[in-house]
Amino acid sequence: MSLHLSESEIVARASLLPAFPSIVNEILQKLDDDNATIGALIHLVERDPVIAANVLAMANAVAMAGRTQRDVHDIQVAVSLIGLAKVREIVLGVSLASFARDGRLGNYFWEHSVAVGVAAQELARLARCSVDYALVCGLLHDIGQLFMARCYPLEFQMVRMSMERDATLDLLDAERQHFGLDHCAIGTILASAWRLSPSVVAAIQHHHDMEPPADKLVAVTHVGEALANALDLARHDEARVLNLSASACDLLGIDWSENLNYLFGKIEARARQLCRIFS
Amino acid sequence: MKQRLRYLPLSDIEEGMVLGAGLTISVNGVTNFTLPAGHALTESNIRQIALRHGEFVCIAEEDTRSDEAYAADLAITRCRLEQIFSRADLAQPSIAGLYAAVLAYRSL
Repeated sequence: MSLHLSESEIVARASLLPAFPSIVNEILQKLDDDNATIGALIHLVERDPVIAANVLAMANAVAMAGRTQRDVHDIQVAVSLIGLAKVREIVLGVSLASFARDGRLGNYFWEHSVAVGVAAQELARLARCSVDYALVCGLLHDIGQLFMARCYPLEFQMVRMSMERDATLDLLDAERQHFGLDHCAIGTILASAWRLSPSVVAAIQHHHDMEPPADKLVAVTHVGEALANALDLARHDEARVLNLSASACDLLGIDWSENLNYLFGKIEARARQLCRIFS
Repeated sequence: MKQRLRYLPLSDIEEGMVLGAGLTISVNGVTNFTLPAGHALTESNIRQIALRHGEFVCIAEEDTRSDEAYAADLAITRCRLEQIFSRADLAQPSIAGLYAAVLAYRSL
């Protein structure tokens, strides 16, 4: 029997998911705060032992490359060695990886999310919008599917079976048949409940739209997902390119007839590397 | 001698590998490290790249495949791409453009 999930049911059921890491919102708020200091970021890192350990591990790898004699034990030294941008990337990635692991998100979903995050970051560099926001949008774009898989595994499996039976069936239509809502709508409700910024909510909501709003973060998430699937970055049989909005490509200034080998190579190499770091 | 290009994360780079494309590392728009295409990487180069937060490198490798083996690999690549794009409309210019760009990259 089909479900007809309401917003309140989704929010109530979301308690079955692990607590959303508040550090993600705090980092994004600091990005928007012109008065935020390096000290504030260091304080956030020091508060979480797992994240602090990852930052120190990366700083030690850099220190070893530079043949620094001493080990790095101090977060402030670590931040100065690896740079603010990389620290933010580690904090966001590791905290969301921990959330995904606690939510028993399958490896494929996580690797796909990292791939979309990296592709979105590289597209954001080209389009001159925030790479940190782009990473979060990519990592969370399919959060609605995590909810479906965790809270309603039977219906989630039925969507997969419907797709296998009918090669022409649209994924979002199949989800609406079984849940009453698709994963974009469910993700939107969850992201709003977690008080994520409106631009992240919009990226989750519109990442499958053929005519998405003219917002660069929405565009990098939409095109990033198509690229991650086209490049087969998660190496999963189910990877499919479903659509690609011409207006999103235009907004980002992408010309597919240009030589894009360097961009694709960078995305592929970084996705592989970040999967290792975040895991 | 034929060559093929691979893009690898820095953790997979080893001494002696040859750059397939010039390497430039910039910080805030200022270039602070460059190496030319064709340069064989030394241990010192790899450390310098890591110190400057370089994340990946384009490597050129000798392509020892015969023409037949190359054609067979390309056929496998096309087959997988067709599977990935099986639910997309290749008549749409943006989808066709993405397909062609990825095929060109996979044919390196």
